[in-house]
Amino acid sequence: MKISDLAALSLRNLGRRKGRTALTVVGIVLGTCLIVVLISLGIAQNQNYDKMLSEWGDLTQIQIWGGSSYTVMMNGNVVTENQPAQLNDEGIAAICALDHVVAATPQYNPYSLNGRIYAGKGDRYETNIYNIYGLYPEAMEPMGFTLQSGEWLSDDASYGKKVIPVLVGPYAGYNFEDTRRSYDSPKRYRWQGQTDANGNELPPFVDIEKDTLTLTLQSYEDENGNVKSKSWELKVVGVMNEDTAKGWWTQSGFVMRLKDLRMLEEEYRELTGDKSEARTNYDEVYVKVDDMDNVDAVTEALNDMGFTDTYSISDQREQMQAQVARNQMMLGGIAAISLLVAALNIANTMTMAIYERTREIGIMKVLGCELGTIRGQFLFESGTLGFLGGVIGCTIGLGISALLNHLTDILMWVQQTFGQNIDLYAILGDSAYYMGEDNILSVVPWWLLALALAFATVIGLVFGVIPANRAVKISALEAIRHD
Amino acid sequence: MAGIIRTEGLRKVYAVGKERVVALNNISIEVEKGEFCCIVGQSGSGKSTLLNQLAGLEKPTRGKVIIGGHELSAMNENELARFRQAHLGFIFQSYNLLPTMTAAENVALPLMFKGVDKRTRIRRARQELKTMGLLGRAGHLPTEMSGGQQQRVGIARAFVTRPKIIFADEPTGNLDSATSKQVLHRMLTLSKEEGITFVMVTHEPSLAACADRIITILDGKVQSDVVQAEDVKQKARDALMADSKTDTPAEPVAARPAAAPA
Repeated sequence: MKISDLAALSLRNLGRRKGRTALTVVGIVLGTCLIVVLISLGIAQNQNYDKMLSEWGDLTQIQIWGGSSYTVMMNGNVVTENQPAQLNDEGIAAICALDHVVAATPQYNPYSLNGRIYAGKGDRYETNIYNIYGLYPEAMEPMGFTLQSGEWLSDDASYGKKVIPVLVGPYAGYNFEDTRRSYDSPKRYRWQGQTDANGNELPPFVDIEKDTLTLTLQSYEDENGNVKSKSWELKVVGVMNEDTAKGWWTQSGFVMRLKDLRMLEEEYRELTGDKSEARTNYDEVYVKVDDMDNVDAVTEALNDMGFTDTYSISDQREQMQAQVARNQMMLGGIAAISLLVAALNIANTMTMAIYERTREIGIMKVLGCELGTIRGQFLFESGTLGFLGGVIGCTIGLGISALLNHLTDILMWVQQTFGQNIDLYAILGDSAYYMGEDNILSVVPWWLLALALAFATVIGLVFGVIPANRAVKISALEAIRHD
Repeated sequence: MAGIIRTEGLRKVYAVGKERVVALNNISIEVEKGEFCCIVGQSGSGKSTLLNQLAGLEKPTRGKVIIGGHELSAMNENELARFRQAHLGFIFQSYNLLPTMTAAENVALPLMFKGVDKRTRIRRARQELKTMGLLGRAGHLPTEMSGGQQQRVGIARAFVTRPKIIFADEPTGNLDSATSKQVLHRMLTLSKEEGITFVMVTHEPSLAACADRIITILDGKVQSDVVQAEDVKQKARDALMADSKTDTPAEPVAARPAAAPA
């Protein structure tokens, strides 16, 4: 027998008992709809968490600390332990070679240097250099930093002798102080948002993109009171966008090529006559991963390499997701139970159908209908019940999801149209604070629909198996003997 | 020459409560190819049980049923289904048409099980109904037809696959005598035209008289197995023919135009 004939026969049989078929389908609709809606709530919650976390920091970034030896107390003894792996240039190169790693760079802060940056006529304005950071220039763009104007730093480009190219934060100008004012005078400082008596905004002392900036390193006074110093011109090649999730220094810091910063350190050691071994390890290295879902794998790979002191926001994300998963499991369980009840209903419907059609089944068998065809016919019927319920359930679920996402709009419309006073906060709780499109309560991805549909169909099929086997076992002779 | 249907020491025992009822006891018969064979006997004689055994609807307790060299008792249910599909046709006392299907769909049912596509099988079903004088009823449901019409649909359904053998269990049992004669006449004519072996259970002697062979069953045993002389059965058939011709047609004139392509 052809499949198309089998299908047509099954559908016709379902159509014979429209009321019963409809009732059975309604059960499945309810179960599928519950599954779609309840799971969509969890998905939306996860997405909202991710959105919140991404405001806290970059979700695809891993931070590595350490690299230098450290001292711990162990059983009363002082033990110096070395980090398993060295966080130096070679180590970073090895990190960059890992799968899923897009870029890695230290954010190196030269706290050992002593010096100042000068600007203005007669070096009137100055700032300290604690705001200088050294990065691999080629890593910045992949790490997600963005420029407001200008261009990126390049390790290959040449900028001139005794010229160091820098990127600055948009508010770097506010770092500068007026050295002609006393430390106590408020006029020595400018800050962002400061206004004069007329309410006009005051610009910083230094126009960071136009004024000439000079970096001067100086040694501390020796016993004779001498100070050695050396100067470089800082050339601003670009202005970064502020992105505090990536580092507060994007606000008003200076970014140098790491090699320039290393050079400055070397020069400073010469100035001060420091003969100790140069530091090659970094305190902090940031690793950019291609996708949120690979952060854990990369973290594990880093730990295996010996970089054991790591942190990523995904650690927190996991905890939040575990919480959502627990909720989803509970809600999904409720939905699954309702679907199970609906499935028992299918089994019942099919058993009834077989009692009604015993004689028909017998006739078909006598006329040469194979057993597989009989079984197939009943399975097709029960599967169709499940599938039909699944389709309708998914559709209604989508509708409810849309309704939930526009709940505030709808309630406000009701309020305006009917003049009823509705306490939105009482109904919606906290979510009423996020009005409009941001208030996403329910997200239904396509895979959820596909899964719910498949689940409903499979449940229909599975619970049709026993009735179908019963139909197969009906004796043809018994069925046709009695009139 | 071995008959197309053969049984060897066929025995069937039913358990009714704790008692064992012997329905068939040591039946060995043979039906030749193309024969029109009637099985007669009183109620409870075991004639229907014998038919069910011959058609492979029930397993014998002992003995063999061999049709065209195939031993039915050795086949599993799926093999039997395919065997019935390919070689056997059935006509029932209570017609057993599927109530949700039209006459044409009922006739086409065995073809559907064989995997014949819809257009072809409906065309052949309509041809068969035309032979039965029922083309006008092709689109009617069984409940919209008289008993005689339903049984003719049943006959068309048995003949549509051109089986080697057709089994009929009291096909005229629910019909009045005039309709019975018409129906028997159709069955007799068609099976002779197509060379189909026909095995029919009946308890009406006037119908059995037309058969080539009459097997009489009594208390589960073969009481007599008679091959009728040519002149005897011809006389009975002539009488049947005359009766069925004088009868008015049991159906109105075709209400629908004949749409089936030839």
